[in-house]
Amino acid sequence: MYAIYVLTLRQFSSRWRLLIMTVLASLPVVVAALTLRSTSTPSVEEFETAIFSAMLAGSISPLVVLAIAAAVFANEIEDRTLANLTLSPIPRWQIVVPKLFASISVAGPFIALSACLTSYIAFSGDWTATFAVTASAFVGVMLYSAAFVWLGLVATQAIGFGLLYIVLWEGFFSGFVSGVRFLSIRHYSIAWMHGLDERRFAVAENLSFEAAIATSAVVFGGFLFLSVRRLRRMDVP
Amino acid sequence: MTMQEKAAQPEVSAAHAGTVFDIGYQRYTGSREGRNRARLAVYKDGIRTALGFGRGSRAKVLPWVFIGVLVAIALVMALVAGAAQRFVGADAAEQLNLPSHSDYYGIASIIFFVFAAVGAPELLCPDRRDGVINLYLVRPLTSSDYVISRWGAFFTVTLMVALLPQFVLLIGLIMGGPDPVQYAIDNWRDVPRILGAGAAIAAYTTTLALLAAAFTTRRAYASVFLVGLFVITTPFTTGMAAEIGGTVGQWISMFNLSNIPVHVNDLIFGEVSDVTSVAPARELSASILVGWYFLWTVVPAGILWIRYWRLAP
Amino acid sequence: MTTRSLAPVIEVDRVSRWFGNVVAVSDVTFNINPGITGLLGPNGAGKTTLLRMITGLAGVSDGSITVFGEPIRDNPPLYARIGVMSEHETVYGFMKGRDFVRMMGRLRGVTDLDAAVDRAIGLVDLAEAAHRPLGTYSRGMRQRMRLAGTLVHDPEILILDEPLNGADPRQRVHFQQILRQLAADGRTIVLSSHILEEVEQLADTVLLIVNGKLAAAGGFRAIRAALDERPYHVLVVSDAPRELAAAVVQLESVDAVNVDPDGTLVVLSRKVRDLQIELPRLAQSASISLRRVEPMDDSLESVFGYLVER
Repeated sequence: MYAIYVLTLRQFSSRWRLLIMTVLASLPVVVAALTLRSTSTPSVEEFETAIFSAMLAGSISPLVVLAIAAAVFANEIEDRTLANLTLSPIPRWQIVVPKLFASISVAGPFIALSACLTSYIAFSGDWTATFAVTASAFVGVMLYSAAFVWLGLVATQAIGFGLLYIVLWEGFFSGFVSGVRFLSIRHYSIAWMHGLDERRFAVAENLSFEAAIATSAVVFGGFLFLSVRRLRRMDVP
Repeated sequence: MTMQEKAAQPEVSAAHAGTVFDIGYQRYTGSREGRNRARLAVYKDGIRTALGFGRGSRAKVLPWVFIGVLVAIALVMALVAGAAQRFVGADAAEQLNLPSHSDYYGIASIIFFVFAAVGAPELLCPDRRDGVINLYLVRPLTSSDYVISRWGAFFTVTLMVALLPQFVLLIGLIMGGPDPVQYAIDNWRDVPRILGAGAAIAAYTTTLALLAAAFTTRRAYASVFLVGLFVITTPFTTGMAAEIGGTVGQWISMFNLSNIPVHVNDLIFGEVSDVTSVAPARELSASILVGWYFLWTVVPAGILWIRYWRLAP
Repeated sequence: MTTRSLAPVIEVDRVSRWFGNVVAVSDVTFNINPGITGLLGPNGAGKTTLLRMITGLAGVSDGSITVFGEPIRDNPPLYARIGVMSEHETVYGFMKGRDFVRMMGRLRGVTDLDAAVDRAIGLVDLAEAAHRPLGTYSRGMRQRMRLAGTLVHDPEILILDEPLNGADPRQRVHFQQILRQLAADGRTIVLSSHILEEVEQLADTVLLIVNGKLAAAGGFRAIRAALDERPYHVLVVSDAPRELAAAVVQLESVDAVNVDPDGTLVVLSRKVRDLQIELPRLAQSASISLRRVEPMDDSLESVFGYLVER
């Protein structure tokens, strides 16, 4: 598994990719800093709506994770190198898990650091709030990674369908249909944030923390299971 | 070899070391169409590729889902207007401030941009990735011809996608009114406005999408980069513009890439759409907004052209 | 047709594969034993699809495939005993040659990895280039390094799809030597190729696939002999062709005789063994000198041609 993990890290560690992720991850930090310059501390709604939901969990995180997670298998399929891995005498889950963890390892630190700095600045050094935001952003990365790794296995146009999900489902429909939050990774992240720091984030309504944990586990485990199943059954090019 | 087959062959002279026999191959002696025909072929192929024609059914799913969503939005707008007309009264649209043609592109812009982000790389990336571009360039076709034809093809598709929902909305509004003919006569000016605004957003989107695709051979990265550009600049510039304010805030708001063609749309329709009504940039002059639009359309087009002009087989 | 011996290594039983309305492989049955088996067929015959099913990369629509008595599909532990080299260049350009072979060995559970990697790279004669990225290799070098990656875990079965693509003549000879040695060591090698001459030289057994069906299986001479409806063409050059033709046409073993304008006889016969005995006797009795007697279609190419045309 370590060999596949290292291989995937190498595949996604190009200079340009890391530079673009750094730039994207720094955007919420800049906005937070500017917000703090003009006001003392943003309200929970301001932070959640403008910075966390719209930027971090709503666009930057899913887009960055989509570019990496969907490609961990999609690129191998396109380049016809996946057979190098599937023709190994190892269970299929030992191929999927390191790929998934590599995706989280590449995208996670950027998003987590961005969330950490953003919330630290926005809430003037409140470590509890910072931890809550960072952890919830990282949970979002894990869930998006699991979903998009599976998408990269099942769809040749994984990016297109992933963008459909992010822009239409998470972005467009969630603005009109409130029930979308029960099937939205972005809202799961927000619920984690509320649950980890009820003192600061309990004001807004959302899924309960317990429900968020349960659904997150189901989503992560479910997509992991589906990915392994897909790899076992698909025709490898 | 039978006697008949041998008899069909000329005798090999002992004086010659080798002989090439005419086994029926004939050179093409018909007319040869030139560069324009090649450009047209690339153009047509681009349209087919963007819409998934000539490939399996799976290739059609994504583009037509996007087109379906865009048309559905227009349909919903038309239905809501019609229902309001029926249940509230003749001036329901104005009373309830229902969205109309001028608001459509503001509402649907992000979906339109994602459609372009997913479709445009299909026209450029595979040719470079698989080396097929070299087969194009050894034909009576220059690299400029190639990229201009591809641009034309995708512009045609995005224009169609931009105009179709607006005309669905127009037909819906005409038919939803108590006097369709009068509505059409009163609002005939919407037709050139729709064409103008549609062309503006199509040209802008086509150019930026193809430019992103011109810098990578992986379709996925081009798509994500483009969507990231549109999606992320919106909250980023909105947040910063709101915090900084003033003229600087207005100019920061101008970097909201998804609003650039919508400002032009507002100028064409003569009213500010809901999406741009909160953008500080709307307060800048028309010449600045239009100039900015052309800057973000013409300069990327130039870069796109230069990028391909340098290619050689 | 099947060639059965004790415990076949690979058993393909009534296997079919279709993609929508297109039937790529149709009701194919054969066994593969240790030695070199050549898989031949025109473009689009279904060879690659068949190989992909044998290696478990693709599923079957009908029938079954077993390797060492176990189903190959969704059976990863079998891959410890199988080495597969596909038609496409499936390498990571950024990876050094040695690292690639090393990764292949590690994934396939090789224990003494360094020795195995050295042996595999030495076998393909790429030790000097092994520290360069694969993206800097020529096509033939990439092909050889892929072969090293296929051999690193010393598999009992080798499945090779067009392995000589991009190889120069010297590399081809070297590669043939490797395969012969591996086969002599008791390995089972399945080799798909368009180069009939090389398959003819290497393979003990040939499987001919035409339009998704198994057209013939076995040694190519045996296949040729089994093509009853096709008479052999035998070239005969003598000092009295017309007299010889008049005498030969009366033999029971002869179906027809063509006399070419240059005096060459082409004798068509379904009973070549009888002709071998009768022709010299006839020539001797007629005081005709035979200068040349040569079968014209005793090659894999002609067998291939006959079967593809059917």
